[in-house]
Amino acid sequence: MSIPAPADFTSRLRSPAVAARVGVWLGIAFGICFLTGLVSHYAQLPNQPVPFPTSPSWGYRLTQGLHVVTGVAAVSLLLVKLWTVYPLLFERLPAPRDVRPLVAALLERASIAVLVAAAVFQLATGLVNATRWYPWSQFSFRASHYAVAWIAIGALVVHIGVKLPIIRTALGADIDDTSQDRPGAGVASPLSRRALVRTSLGAAGVGVLATAGSAVPLLRRVSLFAVNSGTGPSGVPINKTAAQAGVIAAATSADYALAVVVDDQVVRSFTLADLRAMPQATETLPIACVEGWSASGDWTGVRMVDVLSAAGASEPGDVVVASLQDSGPFAKSILPANFVRDRRTLLALGLNGDALSIDHGSPCRLIAPNRPGVLQTKWVSRLEVST
Amino acid sequence: MRWALVGAGTLAGLYGVWLAVTRQEPAQLLEIGVWLIAGILAHDVLVTVLASILLLLVVRLLPMPWQAPAVVAVVVWGGVSLAVLPVLGRWGAQAANPTHLDRPYLASWLVITALVLLAVGLAGVVRSRRGDHSSRPADR
Repeated sequence: MSIPAPADFTSRLRSPAVAARVGVWLGIAFGICFLTGLVSHYAQLPNQPVPFPTSPSWGYRLTQGLHVVTGVAAVSLLLVKLWTVYPLLFERLPAPRDVRPLVAALLERASIAVLVAAAVFQLATGLVNATRWYPWSQFSFRASHYAVAWIAIGALVVHIGVKLPIIRTALGADIDDTSQDRPGAGVASPLSRRALVRTSLGAAGVGVLATAGSAVPLLRRVSLFAVNSGTGPSGVPINKTAAQAGVIAAATSADYALAVVVDDQVVRSFTLADLRAMPQATETLPIACVEGWSASGDWTGVRMVDVLSAAGASEPGDVVVASLQDSGPFAKSILPANFVRDRRTLLALGLNGDALSIDHGSPCRLIAPNRPGVLQTKWVSRLEVST
Repeated sequence: MRWALVGAGTLAGLYGVWLAVTRQEPAQLLEIGVWLIAGILAHDVLVTVLASILLLLVVRLLPMPWQAPAVVAVVVWGGVSLAVLPVLGRWGAQAANPTHLDRPYLASWLVITALVLLAVGLAGVVRSRRGDHSSRPADR
C-alpha cells in the first residue's frame, strides 16, 4: 500500500470553497468554547483580581452549558473540515535548494499539526471529562485543558492569518467556484458542496440535540445521549455521593455541628437543630456542574449572612467553606466576599420541598448564585471567616 | 492584518505552552505530548481511513438514488457517534451513583442506527421513483 498523492483525491467536495465555509462555523464553535472556558477557569480561581459576579444566578449555567454544547458541535464540523483539506497532507514539500519556500512550508505544516493535535486533544479530553471518565494517569485535566486551549486558539488564529487570502476569495465567490481547487479535484459527488456544508451543520445540530438535555430541561426527552436524565433525589442529579466522599458516618452523626471560625478561633457552633430554628429562606438557584450538566432547584435553608451575623461576623470578607470530606481538591472552597454578602447565598437544609438528602450534602450544603457546582461545597462542617 | 493574526496567534500559543510547562510536571507533560500525537494519528490514520472506506462503499456499492442519503447519513451518524462515544462506552459510570450515565445509551444508539439505515433506504426509494439520478459518484 503506497502513500497517496493529492491527485488521488478527486472529489470536488474537497475544495477551499467548502473548507472555508465549514471553517467559519468551526471557528465560531471554537471561539465560543474558548471564551466560555476562560469564564469557567476564572470562576474557579481561588483568588480573583476582579470578583466573579453573583448575577445573573444562571450565568455560569449558561456559559458552561454553551462550552459543552459548542464542543460537541465542533466534533462533526472538525471532521468535515479536515476531510475537505486532507489531500493537502500529502502535498510534496518544496525542493531543499529553495530554502525560503521550504522553511515557510515546514512552518505552515507545523502550525497545522499543532492545530489538529490541540483541537483533537481539547475535544477528546473535554468529552470524556463530561462523562467523568479520566483515561490518563498523570496530567491534570483542568491545567492541561486550559493550557492546550490557548495553544489551540493560538494555532487557529495563526491558521486563519496564513490562509486569509484563500478564505477571502472562497467566501467572496460562489460555493461552486473552482478557481482555487486543486487540479483534478473536479469529479462530481453524490452531494453538492452546499449540501455538504448543510449536512455538517445538521450533524453539529443533531449532536447538540442528542446531548444538551443534561443542561436544557426542554431537551431531556430527545437528548438520548445526555450524561444524565435529570433525575435524582428531590429531582436533581448528583455528581459525588456521600459514600464516594466517605462522609456517611460524620454526616449522620448526632454530634454534627457547624463551626464558625474567626481569626482561628471557633466563635460559634450550630447544631442541625440550631440551623433549623433560624429563619428559613427559599431561593431558586441552579446547580451548574463544571462538566456541563445543570439543574435548577428550590433550595431552602439559612442565609449565609444570617449564620455569620449570628456568630458575630456581621462584616464578613471571604469565607473558606470546609466539608466533612477530609480529602480531595474540593474538600474546601473559598467563597468570595461578594458571594458571602449576597442574600441568595444559602446553607441549604432542603431541596424542592424535601429535606436535603445526604447525597446532596446533608446536614447542610452551600448553594450560591452563579457559582460552579464543584465549588458549591457539600456536607459543610466549618466556615472560616476573614474579616 | 495577516501578520497581526499570525503574531497574536503565536503569542497565545506560546502562552499555552508556558502554562503547560510551568503547571505540569515532566511526567505529566510527557503524557500530554503522547495524547497530542495520538490525536493526530487517531484522526489522520484511523478516523479518516474508516470514513474513506465507508464513503467508498457508499459510492461503489449503492445505486445512485441511495448515494446522497447514504453520504448524509455517514456524516451525521459518524460525527454524532464519535461525539457520544464516551457516553456509549459508559467508562465513567459509577456503581455508587445511579444518577450519572443513567440512560440506555447503547440500546438508543442501536435503534437510531437502525432508523438511519431505514431512512436512507426510504429516501433512496423516493428518489429512484422521482428519477433523481443527476449526480455522479466521486472516486475518493
